[in-house]
Parts: sequence; structure tokens; C-alpha cells
Amino acid sequence: MDVVSNVVYPVAGLLGLYAFVSLASLVWEGIDRKLVARMQRRIGPPILQPVYDFLKLASKETIIPNTANYMFRAAPVLSLATAIALLAYTPMGFTPILASKGDVIVFIYLLTLISFFKMLGSISSGNPYAKIGAAREVALMVSREPAMMLAIFTIMWRIGKLGVDKPFSMGTFYQHNIWEIGTPMSFVGALILLYVFAVWLASEIEAGFFNIPEAEEEIAEGTLVEYSGRYLALLKLTKAIKAFIAASLVVAIFFPWGISGYFGLTGLSANIADLLFHTLKVFAVLFVVQSVFRAVTGRLKITQAVDFLWKNVFLASLIGSLLIAMEVIM
Amino acid sequence: MNGEIILPYLIIVPLFGAFSMPIVSLAGRKAREAWAVLVSGITFIVGSAIFYAVYENGPILYTLGAKNPFGQGAGFPIRIVWEVDLLSALMVLMVTFVAFLAVLYSIGYMRHDTGLDKYYTLVIILELGMLGIAITGDLFNFYVFLEIMSIASYALVAFRNDTWEGIEAGIKYMFVGSVASSFVLLGIALLYGQYGTLTMGYLAIKLAQNPTVVAKVALAFFIAGLLFKSGASPVHMWLADAHPAAPSSISAMLSGLVIKIGGVYALARILFSIYGASVSMKTVGWIIIIFACITLIIGNAMAVIQEDMKRLLAYSSVGQIGYILLGLGIGLAGYGTKAGEIAIAGAVYHTFNHALMKALLFLIAGAVIHELGTRNLNELSGLAKTMPKTTFAFLIGAAAIIGMPPLNGFASKWLIYESSATFNQVLATIAIIGTAFCTAAYVRVLYTFFGRPSEKVMKAKDPEASMLWPVVILALAIIIMGLFPWQISDKIMIPVARTLENQLGYVATLMGGA
Repeated sequence: MDVVSNVVYPVAGLLGLYAFVSLASLVWEGIDRKLVARMQRRIGPPILQPVYDFLKLASKETIIPNTANYMFRAAPVLSLATAIALLAYTPMGFTPILASKGDVIVFIYLLTLISFFKMLGSISSGNPYAKIGAAREVALMVSREPAMMLAIFTIMWRIGKLGVDKPFSMGTFYQHNIWEIGTPMSFVGALILLYVFAVWLASEIEAGFFNIPEAEEEIAEGTLVEYSGRYLALLKLTKAIKAFIAASLVVAIFFPWGISGYFGLTGLSANIADLLFHTLKVFAVLFVVQSVFRAVTGRLKITQAVDFLWKNVFLASLIGSLLIAMEVIM
Repeated sequence: MNGEIILPYLIIVPLFGAFSMPIVSLAGRKAREAWAVLVSGITFIVGSAIFYAVYENGPILYTLGAKNPFGQGAGFPIRIVWEVDLLSALMVLMVTFVAFLAVLYSIGYMRHDTGLDKYYTLVIILELGMLGIAITGDLFNFYVFLEIMSIASYALVAFRNDTWEGIEAGIKYMFVGSVASSFVLLGIALLYGQYGTLTMGYLAIKLAQNPTVVAKVALAFFIAGLLFKSGASPVHMWLADAHPAAPSSISAMLSGLVIKIGGVYALARILFSIYGASVSMKTVGWIIIIFACITLIIGNAMAVIQEDMKRLLAYSSVGQIGYILLGLGIGLAGYGTKAGEIAIAGAVYHTFNHALMKALLFLIAGAVIHELGTRNLNELSGLAKTMPKTTFAFLIGAAAIIGMPPLNGFASKWLIYESSATFNQVLATIAIIGTAFCTAAYVRVLYTFFGRPSEKVMKAKDPEASMLWPVVILALAIIIMGLFPWQISDKIMIPVARTLENQLGYVATLMGGA
């Protein structure tokens, strides 16, 4: 019994989530491409195009450059594995499968580890374009994460003050949320942090301003330049899943409301209903941050992006966090 | 198993092994290597047995020359005693383990050098000195073992005396180390003159009864001397020269063991077990914390800009010593609080972990030098192509030292972060800044190793079995320890911290209820 509830259910849940999220995230990519095409008065590909792309890439011959070392082949697998592991800690409309006290650090760690593995894989190809892409990726990563971390820790700390059973866990968002604090100051702070998280999400999925490490036209796909066949398929899938996960975080923090309560659902059906509703919200967030943002803006230079993230976003994060923390500190 | 019976063999075996080495060497190269491996292997077995015995049955008191340390009619200890509590036993385990692997590694690594009978003698003497420091309960005995260890390491740093840098580093290390040792000796002389005893436990009693200015002066000398030995900033400069110049098997022992046994362990022993009740823990703690913070920042920051691989590792050792000292300092300043206890547990845990990680990294650096003959990171681009196993082990070691979760460095650093955050947030910030530098330094190395292979690198290959196995064993130890961090912490490190804090227990073991 103990084994069943501690091992079998979580594993089954994780596998189910993985199957669902891979499909949903690829479908979202199709929708995204369609929407951007419509915004530019094109018809665009069919909705399921990313799925076809994935299958086609997976069936193609994989070419390994002769300057590559073992990490070139290991990195796509490792980054997808990390993304799958991360699903167990991601809030998806309900408390994450492996939620425990302090798991926000695991969440942030695994999310950065995906980028780290991707970067390691791309420098392992030995291609200078890939190296430039990796260097940009690191610069961007180092600049974007502090703003997010400051914001998320503040929010979790503030929510913890409202009384939750596992402080600093990704499950706390479903017990209390940031809007419940209710004072005008915290409301303004939350809006500022929403802005911070939107920019963070855009830079995490490298949309619009932040399409820098992969910059197709400029450095020939950067980090992905040498990848082909199966490995490219894995990396594309990882990227899609990561976009879903990162957007899930934003949704969980700012729009955590579920619908199962309104229909009186319980147990598994409630989880499924919440998951579907959560997916809708993720799509909505990604529509604003990814589709619109990438359709209406171009790419920044890497120095501009770093400047923007530190001088604008981090500052906003600081102000928002202080506003939210204010009435507790004083 | 009775710990008191096997304890002497911890000294007998390496002593006999070292002194018989010149004779065994007459039988040729193979015999010499086999003898060195055998001796350090047996020492490792004895060390593990002692750790087990102490873990199961509590501290061991061993008196040289009699059944108990007291003379006829005398109510105080008059003989040399060895007192092995859980902390000492853990250090013994660490020393014997890493030393065994370093000796094993030397077979392949030192193949092209001459004078190897002296080399193996010195290595075993070095191990002997460290073991002696860990087990002794007598202050002068401690000094003797400290000097045995130090002199062996001076000789080993300058072992390759046909290179200019070996000689230079050896001289620097020797001058600085001798000054530091004489500080310690001066401290001991002052204490002896004032209190008339050299037994640590009994000295603790006398100190508590009559704390004098002389005792404080002696303490200042101890702290100064031992911070030198542990490579704390601003007196770390010898370390950054000595560790790169020594043969890599020796750097692994110097960086993994010597600076901890001769520096941090001795400091902890003297501060807690001797001075525990007689000085203001808070003041001493803050002095250590200040040095720890300087060490943390300088060590890790200097590691970022190095181009020499071993120098980078040496500076990183300085940085990691900063963490250990920080834990120790918080343990002193927050004596008796929860944060203090966690800090000591973290410091001890990190000592053990860092011994494994840094030994691993230096052994890898040795393998690279052995294959390519260069330590310059700029020439080592793309090493992962031709030395896959070695670079993978480096990846493990680097990730562990940064403190990435599935590896052992995470738990120990976490304990230090957690205690420093509850104790004083500024210290936690400094610790985090140190880690940021450390991450930058190692990511930079990884960036080089996994890049485009340079011409020079294409000729390299993974090292032979005797050099690869120690690396593999250390990497496995790091991974396995990383899987059970909190079990190790609860079952070993927290009890160790409690033993160290419990000065009365240390004294009671010595006095045996007398």
C-alpha cells in the first residue's frame, strides 16, 4: 500500500503529465505559429505542424560533427530528462506531484539546469557559432534569473505569512494567492511583479526581444547549429515543454484559480478539469508573451538585453517585492 | 571490536611502512609500489575499523606506556594520551581513504620520476603525521605530529627539484610554514609555563579554573599559526604556489587533507576542547568569521581569473576553506544555539566532502598534465573529445564543489548557508557571493574542456588503470554520498558537531571519572 501510494501513483502521474504536456506544448506551438501567421496576413501551417516536424526530425539521419565530444549526444537527453523531472514539481492546476517544503529551489534549479545542459551540448559540438550562442545564453540566463528569484521568493514568503502548511513549496499557490493580501500597496506590487514575470517568461522562452542565443538569421541558429535528426527533435520538444512549464509558473502565481470547485468535482476528475483549465490559462499567457510579443518586436542586441534585464526588470522586481513586503516589514 | 587495541596500529603501520621503505626498495620498483599500496591499504582498513569502533562504542582513550594516564598517587594525567572522539575518527577515515587513493594513483603518475623510494616514504610519513594530529590528546604530541606532517609536505612540494617552480614553492612554503609552526610552539610553551600540563583535556580544566592573559596570548598564537596552516586569507599565498608545484597526487593530499587536518581540525580541537569554557566564544567566533569571509571572497574570486588549472583548484581550495571556517566561526559565535550546531555539522561535513572533491579534481588535473604536459587552461580546449572519462569525472567534481543538488556538496553547503542565514544574513550573502564566483570559475573550465578540440589535445587519451581507478572511486563516493545527504547529516555529522561542542565529555573521557 505504501509502495503504491508513494511510488506507483507519482510515477503514473508523472508519465501521464509528461504525455499530456508534450502533446499540449507542441499543439500550442502550432497555434502560436498559426496566430503569428494570421497577424502577418499569411495562412500559416496547420495546427499540428510541430508534431509532424517532431516525427520527421526523429526519423531523419543524425549527423555528429567530428569535433563533437560525448556531451553533444548526452546533452539533449539530459535536458529532456531534466524537463521531465521538472514536471513533477510544476504546479499544473493542482499541487505538484512531489511538492514538499522548500521545493521552489528545486524548481528554479531544474529550470536553469535545462538551459545549462543545452549550453553544454552546444559548446560540445565544437562549432564557433554554437559557442557564441552558448555565451549569449549564459549572459541572458545570469541576467534574467535574479529578477525572477527575488520576485518568487518574496511572493512565497508573503504567502507563507498567510499560513500555509508547506512554506516555500510550489503547492502554496493553491492555498493562498497573491491577490488575497488585498492592500492597495500589495496590489500595485503584484502588478509590477506580473510585468517582471512576463518579461522573464519571454526571455526564458526566447521570444521577441530575447530571441538572441538562437538568432536564426544572425548566427545561424546559434546553440542548435550543429544539431540534427533525433537530437534536434529532443531539443525542440524540450524547448516546447520548458515554455509550458515556465508559463505554468506564471499562471500558478498570478491566476491560480481552478474550476473544479464550481462543478463539485473531486479526486481525479477534479485534477483533470483543473489541468485542462490550467492549460487554457497557459495558452492565454503564452499568447500575450510569446505570439504577440514575437510578432510585434524584433531582436535586441545581447548587450541591450542584459542592460534591459538588469536596469529595468530587476529594478521593477525590487520595487514590486518591496511593495509587497512593506506592510509585513513595517 | 575493541578500539583501544587497534588504535596503536594506526601509527604503527604507517611508521613501520615508512621506515622499512628504503629496505623494501632494494627489491626493486614493483616491490616498492606494492609495499606502499599495501601499507596505505592496511592503514585505511585500520582507520575504517577505528571509525566504526568509535561510532559504535563512543570515544577511545589510549595511554602510552600504562593502563591509565595517571601516575601513582597523582590526580592528574602525566602520560601522553590519544583521545579519539567521533570528529577525530571521521578525520582518520578521511585521511586514510584519500591517502590510500593518492598512493594508488602515484603508481602510474610518478612513473617517470626518480627517487621514488623517498617519495613513498614521505607520502606515508605525511599520512602518519595527519593521523597523529587527528588522534592525539596531548598538546606537545600534537605539535610533533604537526611538524612531521609539515616537513613531509615541504619535501613533497619541492619533490621535483629539477623544476624551478617546485623549489620556489617549496622554499616559500617552508619559510611560511616554519614561522606558523613556531607560533604554535610558542603558544604551547606559554601554556605549559603557565599551567604546567600539556594534556589537552586536563589543560581545559586548569584553564577554566584560572583563565589568564597568558592563555589568551597563547590562543592568539594558535589561531595565527593554524590559520597559516589552513591557508586562510590573508596568509594563503603559500598555498597558491605550493599546490600547483607539487606532484598532483601530493596536491590532492595537501588540498584535500593537510590544510584541514593541520589547520581547521586543529583549530576546532583547540578552540572547543581546550579553550571552550575559558574564553568568550563569541569574540573568538567573530574573529574566525571575519577571516572566513575574507577567505571566501578572495579565494573564490581569485579562482575565476586563473589560467593555470592547478592554480585555479588551489584558489578554489582557499575559497572552500572559507566555508569551513565560516561554519566553524558561526559554531563558536552561536555556541549552544541551533544555528551553531548546524554550522559545525556543516563545517565538518564540508571538510569531508571537500576532501573527496578536491582530491578528485587534483587527481584529474594530474591525469591531464600526465597526458599533455600542460596546465594552461587555454591550451586544453576540447579535452572531452579525447579524455572522455576524465572530463566526465571533472564534471562531477566541479558540480559537487559548486554544490549542485544530486551530489554531496549540496547538503554540506546548504547546512552552512542555512546556519549563516539564521545567524546573520550578511554572512549568508557573502557565502552566496563566494559560490557565485566559484560557479563562474568552474563553468569557465567546463567551457574550455567541452569546446572545440585543439591540435595539442588530439594526442591525449584517458590515463591508465592505476590512475583512473582512484578517480572513479572518488567520483562514485561523491555520487553515493550525494544520494543520502540528510541521512549522513543526521547520523554522523550532527553527532560529530555535538561531540565537538561537548567539552565536558572530552574532559570526562580523559579523566575517566577519576
